[in-house]
Amino acid sequence: MSASLAQARILVVDDFQGMRTILRDIVRAMGVTRVDTAANGKEALQMLRGSRYDVVICDFNLGPGLNGQQVLDEARLHDYIGVSTIWVMVTAEKTAEMVMGAAEVKPDEYLLKPINQSILESRLERLIVKKQALRGIEEAIRAKDYAAAIHRCDQLLQADAARPQEFLRIKSDLQLKVGDYDGAKALFESILAVRSVPWARTGLGKVYFHKGDLEAARNTFQQVLDENRMFIEASDWLARTYDALGERVRAQQVLLEAVKLSPNSASRQKVLGETAHKNGDLGVAQAAFEKTIKISEFSSNKNPAAYVALAKVLSDSDAPEEALKVLSRTKGVFKDSTEVAIQAAAVESAVYQKTGQQDLSDAAMAQAEQLLASQPGKLSQDAALEVAQAMLALGRKDQASGLMRDLVKNHHEDTQLSNKVQALFEQAQMGAEGRSLIAESREEVIRINNQGVTLAKQGNFAEGARLLRTALQNLPGSEVVMMNLCGLLIGQMRAQGKSDALMSEVMELLERVRELNPMNEKYRQYMNALHPSGGRGNG
Amino acid sequence: MAQDDISFTDLIASSIHDMKNSLNVQISELEKISDQCKKVGDLQAYEDLGGVIYQANRMNSNLIQLLSLYKLDKAIYPVDIAECSIAEVIEDVLLQNKSVMDFKSITVTMDCSADCTWYIDRDLVAGVLLNALNNAYQYTQDKIRVAAQIQDGCLELRIEDNGQGYPSSMLRDEATAAAKGVSFLTGSTGLGFYFSSQVAHMHKNGERRGVLIIENGGAYGGGCFVVRLP
Repeated sequence: MSASLAQARILVVDDFQGMRTILRDIVRAMGVTRVDTAANGKEALQMLRGSRYDVVICDFNLGPGLNGQQVLDEARLHDYIGVSTIWVMVTAEKTAEMVMGAAEVKPDEYLLKPINQSILESRLERLIVKKQALRGIEEAIRAKDYAAAIHRCDQLLQADAARPQEFLRIKSDLQLKVGDYDGAKALFESILAVRSVPWARTGLGKVYFHKGDLEAARNTFQQVLDENRMFIEASDWLARTYDALGERVRAQQVLLEAVKLSPNSASRQKVLGETAHKNGDLGVAQAAFEKTIKISEFSSNKNPAAYVALAKVLSDSDAPEEALKVLSRTKGVFKDSTEVAIQAAAVESAVYQKTGQQDLSDAAMAQAEQLLASQPGKLSQDAALEVAQAMLALGRKDQASGLMRDLVKNHHEDTQLSNKVQALFEQAQMGAEGRSLIAESREEVIRINNQGVTLAKQGNFAEGARLLRTALQNLPGSEVVMMNLCGLLIGQMRAQGKSDALMSEVMELLERVRELNPMNEKYRQYMNALHPSGGRGNG
Repeated sequence: MAQDDISFTDLIASSIHDMKNSLNVQISELEKISDQCKKVGDLQAYEDLGGVIYQANRMNSNLIQLLSLYKLDKAIYPVDIAECSIAEVIEDVLLQNKSVMDFKSITVTMDCSADCTWYIDRDLVAGVLLNALNNAYQYTQDKIRVAAQIQDGCLELRIEDNGQGYPSSMLRDEATAAAKGVSFLTGSTGLGFYFSSQVAHMHKNGERRGVLIIENGGAYGGGCFVVRLP
């Protein structure tokens, strides 16, 4: 056994006493002295919060409460585990979750029972080596320096040709992330030329999707599923493609198939709920949202949108009392979030409006407005649309218009959002007002941007930056303003020399944009401008 | 789910699952006890336990095969054909069986280069190897060789022993047909062959599919269990 393994601090998580003891004894027999055990997810998280572990050996099935994947998600979310922590998930049988690879955070290894000492030891030794090789990449990814991560992949591909696919797969994920679709396409095609590998074909489908070739995307995802129906990531993308093609009933069918094979993904259930709701299939929508909520029951990363959506489905199903119950539960679960309180109050108002209880509806809206005033400009798209919808239902056109004007200004190039806003106004028989509101809001943002760019061209960087920074404060979600400010700051540094303050402002802006829209074209352009060699250092 | 919705096969599958869990705990405990026996020098008990553990492993391997076949049949097995290090897969299987081989003083050699990789479902192929090793354990004198190499666009896995080899009646038919030769007398239900040929068949590349072949000869002139995967 290697020295690093003997010195490792190991946590064993299993709900079954017998198994816990066996695993602990095996680890001790390997010469490891620092071994702790936990009997469930809650206990495991407490221990992970308290100490840094080098290795976590965790059973997937932990009885009631969190399962192994959820414990891993939580631990990563709260940074209880570092880049170098090795997470081994133990399962009694192979499950779809192990194959489909849709989970954002994956364990380093799945281990099928039975486990004996020699197997565990040899796996851990291999994982330590592998982890060291991947360390530079993982660190760069966590620092969100994707260019450096890609560069590191290339280095490893040159140095260690033993198992190139692992690095190629990581590299292709990164290429998709930063929007290098041509590079990713070439990589996927080179693999597919030899053999139809599901992750590579799914990746190719994603390239088609991002490039807007929806027909090719659909055919590609369908082919993955024909060849390997367990590769559920392809189902998610196929559903997304059908949705983009306007074939929402097909999307729902695909998702229903996928949740049959893998029912415990909160995000998939939520998408199914949303799709079914739009299709008017209220029974399916209700079940899917209820399941979404149930899956995240013990997680600290709950999605309020599922709660609000469930309430709306119930209201549409003529079950206003059930809807109100869900809303009051929502307020309790997310009691620290003003944003959720605003949404819940707005939907509450709409529910009362539908049942004809005008006073209660007004009161709920008054509460929403009061909360809204307490945090200007910070509302998410969904919440803003929710509130505006309720306002229009109450006949408060001016307020709804004000809210929507801000929203469109923040995302003036987002045609999908404009369509949603327009649909909202159409619903309220105000199509013409909607159209002119959207047009005016767009023009205003374009004017400010042009001013900033003109000032920069005249060499007046400071004034231009001030203008765009102020604009950004009012429009915190505007990609275009962020990118223009970015370009201006880069220009300023070219003209006047590099500065740490400006550099970190640029990096922060770029990351905000990448989070909003990884496909942003200027993002890559600017990243390359900052790292002209295509990669920086060796991580 | 209402009670009458439960099919008999589903019930068997969930029972197999449960049995497998109990068996795993048993095997772990037995290995612990046999280690103790060895330490205190009780070699008779140590040897006796060796046979018990072998049988328990065989049972476990059969249960896994049954469960996998059930899931493959219902199309709910999460087939995952991915690039794997073949040496690692073989090493893992050998480690799993090491204590058993030691009891009978069987020398197992591995012939596979460290950089040999191929597209396989790791767990299913490990199940095939495990079954082949269990089989070889029963018929070998004292040697088993596990070899892997890439040949003509196929991964060839060979498990060879220095026993008497397969009877000619078995060799006359295809190995898959041998799977039908259920014989409770010899303890051969054909499950292992059936499972292995199913797994081989599932591996495909373009129009080519995997095959299972049994023959006599090889490095030791005994039985050879060969799987070719495209």
